[in-house]
Amino acid sequence: MLVGIDLGTTNSAVAIWRDGAPQLVPNALGKQLTPSAVSLAKGGQAWVGEAALDRMATHPADTATSFKRMMGTAATVTLAGTTLTPEDLSAMVLRSLADDVEAATGERPTAAVITVPAYFNERQRRATRRAGEIAGLEVKRLINEPTAAALAFGLTDRGDREPFLVFDLGGGTFDVSIVEMFEGIVEVRASAGDNRLGGDDFDDVLVKLVEPMLDGRDALDLLPADRRRALLTLAAERTRRALSTAEAAEFSVVADGTPMTARVSTEAFEEAAAGLVKRLRDPVIRALRDCHIDVRTLSDIVLVGGATRMPVVRKALTRMFGRFPNATVHPDHAVALGAAIQAGLLSGGDGLEEIRITDVAPFTLGVNTATRDSHGRFHDGIFAPIIERNTPVPVSRVERFHTLADNQREIAFGIYQGEARDVKNNVQLGEIKAPVPARPAGEVMVEVRFTYDTSGLLEVDLEVPASGLKRNLVIVDEDDKRNQKDIEGRRKLLEKLKVHPRDEAENVALLARAERAYEGFTGQLRDVIGQGLTEFLGALEKQDPRLIADAREGLGRLLDEIEANPPI
Amino acid sequence: MSRAFPWNVLGIDATKDAGLIRKAYAGVLRGLNVDEDIAGYANLRRARDEALWLAAQADQDDEGDYGLGGLDEDDAYDDNSADFGLADGWQDAPDIYSPEAPHDAPAPEFSSEPTPELAKAQTKAQTAWAALLDLLYPGGEVSDDSVTYAEMEDGLAHLAVLLDHADRADLAEHDALDGALADVFARTWPRSAPFVEPANAALHWLDEAGQIEERPALMFLNARLKGMRFHDKVQEPGHPLHKAWAELSRPGRAGFVDRLRVKRLDIDKLLSGLRQHYPELESHLAPERVTSWEGDVNPSGVSNTGPKVVRGIFIVLLVVAVPRLISNLIDSPDNDPAATLLDTAPSAEEIDAEVTSIFGEDVDMNAVRTADPVFADQLRNAFNAAPFSDTTPLVHARRKALEAGEVADFDTLIARAQLRRLWLTAAQRQAPGVCQNVLVGDFFSIPLELTDDELDSEGKLLRQMLDAKVLSHQAKGGAFEYAVPGWMVGEAMTLTGLSSDALTAALRNTADPNRCKVERALLDIIVAKPGRVSLDLLRGL
Repeated sequence: MLVGIDLGTTNSAVAIWRDGAPQLVPNALGKQLTPSAVSLAKGGQAWVGEAALDRMATHPADTATSFKRMMGTAATVTLAGTTLTPEDLSAMVLRSLADDVEAATGERPTAAVITVPAYFNERQRRATRRAGEIAGLEVKRLINEPTAAALAFGLTDRGDREPFLVFDLGGGTFDVSIVEMFEGIVEVRASAGDNRLGGDDFDDVLVKLVEPMLDGRDALDLLPADRRRALLTLAAERTRRALSTAEAAEFSVVADGTPMTARVSTEAFEEAAAGLVKRLRDPVIRALRDCHIDVRTLSDIVLVGGATRMPVVRKALTRMFGRFPNATVHPDHAVALGAAIQAGLLSGGDGLEEIRITDVAPFTLGVNTATRDSHGRFHDGIFAPIIERNTPVPVSRVERFHTLADNQREIAFGIYQGEARDVKNNVQLGEIKAPVPARPAGEVMVEVRFTYDTSGLLEVDLEVPASGLKRNLVIVDEDDKRNQKDIEGRRKLLEKLKVHPRDEAENVALLARAERAYEGFTGQLRDVIGQGLTEFLGALEKQDPRLIADAREGLGRLLDEIEANPPI
Repeated sequence: MSRAFPWNVLGIDATKDAGLIRKAYAGVLRGLNVDEDIAGYANLRRARDEALWLAAQADQDDEGDYGLGGLDEDDAYDDNSADFGLADGWQDAPDIYSPEAPHDAPAPEFSSEPTPELAKAQTKAQTAWAALLDLLYPGGEVSDDSVTYAEMEDGLAHLAVLLDHADRADLAEHDALDGALADVFARTWPRSAPFVEPANAALHWLDEAGQIEERPALMFLNARLKGMRFHDKVQEPGHPLHKAWAELSRPGRAGFVDRLRVKRLDIDKLLSGLRQHYPELESHLAPERVTSWEGDVNPSGVSNTGPKVVRGIFIVLLVVAVPRLISNLIDSPDNDPAATLLDTAPSAEEIDAEVTSIFGEDVDMNAVRTADPVFADQLRNAFNAAPFSDTTPLVHARRKALEAGEVADFDTLIARAQLRRLWLTAAQRQAPGVCQNVLVGDFFSIPLELTDDELDSEGKLLRQMLDAKVLSHQAKGGAFEYAVPGWMVGEAMTLTGLSSDALTAALRNTADPNRCKVERALLDIIVAKPGRVSLDLLRGL
């Protein structure tokens, strides 16, 4: 079974193509979004999703969030003594989503379409695919998030559409795609973005703004750094949400029983976030320039990603485009639904016969070259593009290069991705070398072929016609090679972690939530929560399902009430 | 199927209907597995794009046909010119930046009438733009003068209004303003210098630096911006090249102590870096100080400071000038027997006429005598000796001008260099032999043929040397060594097209066939950048 998965920075979601429509699959808690969070405890106990997110406040050192931002890097996280890569963490989220699908349909998914930010580079894409494999899912295709959203948007009425713009600001990444739809063809004209910009950055800005304003912050300073950061980030998220509806909001944290608050106005937040808002503009301008479309002729602005809900972003968008954006698609659901449509397309789902998607390569890809100028000086490290950005994919191009020295024995190409003339400023993806026959300079010719597939993965072929030699390189760097062999090992490691059985998920999530609430409140309220917790734990021990259900309902209601009307 | 590309790929007959083309494209695409047939997909895309392009062309042609009536054509023309927008418009008349109002935009389904505030902001921005242009083009002209302090303040205020407007405006206007500012700043550099950094802060121009698609105006401005930043940073004592910078900005020649205090390596690094990346910054340095550091690089020391290619560029050549100024020049005309034997000396009028022809109008023998009595005597003797020796008054004056190199001051040496350049130019025009003769100071064997203009300039330059009282100097002669700094070698290589080896050979040997060309190139460089040349070099050449 093939599913569509939106593997997000903050939240993930899974959807399937069923009965001629994409459908989101709810998780064990009945929610359509599963937070991309993982928490571990000594002894291999593991939490994923809502429960893990709640443990962020109580066990920040053992909880990981926003690990999508580390994808494609060598960074690792150690939670409760277990060292995990970003791929492992993503794989745990993917596996929990697969469990949800199995619970809902009775069939275990074996393959998936996973979405990635359009501006994800080669390494980040490979890491994502690896995460899928570790989770036991064959990754049939990686699809760009704005493209997925465009599919979901375009399929609402299936009519032809003049070019529209998908503005996708997620928790950690930002993409812009310009898409056109005609005769059932969804055609991406250009993509641009910033793979290091998202809602998290707005939280950081808020924390920086508020931190000096908190009074009595000594208690905060005494906390370990990771705990302090976790508390502040969680508070910032709450405040940010509150600012969506009000002109001003309280920023409140409780550090070891000491409550502290500061009042933030929308105005102050907007001013602090001005730098981030400006960074939203450049990719939009670049995408429009690349496909020669005037911003005023765009038929629609489609917003995707939770961070586009922020009034500060909406305001900037209205200014940038001179109109109000379209809000017909659900910013959190569109990407997963689009992934399910793609999954349906790949498995020949009903009602999708007419639909085709074409996408573009978001980056320029090429090799480094050296040359001699008219003075005989040698210049190395010049980027020679082979596939220009925003070329339709799949694409395959050949470029010819010649030897530079007499009797040169070997020719080597660094493979790069980026837009800078100097390769130093681009991302190196790999290197390919080949021996060449010794001849005078310039007489030996080498053909380099770049093939870029629909998932955005690159393959490089090198051919030396003079000797008939051929080399092929699927871009795999050293880390990659090791990990590739290691996938089975990683899978085994993750299987050892004891994720709670699905039928306990509700209890586990509630416990984590109650513990977080216990930390977050003081005085009498804290005692009340403590009491509720004890009762619930007692019920759990008795293992009487009815008793547990009652206690769960009671504690849930109590927490809802307290959190809805915070005393401060 | 006898259809031609692109229609054969799309499987339809040629059409102007974009809808039909798209439909055909969609049909073919559905039947294609793009992952399997990458080349087929590329071909299909190409066919679709070309078909759409042809359709668009055909549409335009149709419009052209209707337009033949006359009035319509004018309208069409106007429409076109309006489409080109700001970047082209302002170039012809610097004051017509007029951002299109958003309500002019097509498909304005969302925007209603502009609010009064919006219109006000628009007017304000236009006023600021006009004022900024007036300031950058004083009197409507391009100017190299830098702005005054008051102008800078004004300009920054206007710029702030514009940037603020760009910040609030929609993307199209933001983009247009961004492009227009970059263009106008690039065109009015260096006058626009104080405004580039604030504009960059708002528009992030430097982010585009080094990109394949960096806009040309930005490429220029970003290089200048980096230069200005380097200039600021190098002023700070913490900067690794600060000492070298401070040393080179001091007036006067570098003394012994300076050489111990500042590392030669840093000086070289700074100078080569500056010349490669920020040539405009060299004007901040003291030329004399720079030449004094460059003038005496020991070439043997340089030979092991880098690989061969690098040495080719930064090598300093030690040139042995021929002892050409020695004995072959006539020394004391007093000893010349001809002077006393002569009874038919030229008349005073003839002499005056000849002197005027040498030094230009309003210079006669009296004037020469007032300027430099010793030279006047020599010249008088040259007149007398002329029929019997290898000299004429003109030849004498030219030789003396050459000899004067030993004593002349900087300005006079530049005049001398200009003279030599003029002679070499004329000689090269005539024949290779003439040039060789001029090189060794022989103006007699084959007379130089100068044009009227050249004669004119020659007169003026000789007059300058006469006034400096250097023409009467008696040459001591002897071999003369001088160093050609690396940057000159590099430029000479570009000018002459010679390789570094050929150039070196020419400079080491006066009889080398390229010598003429090379000396001429060096003189060209000297005349173009007199501030960067050492005295020794000027004397030697």
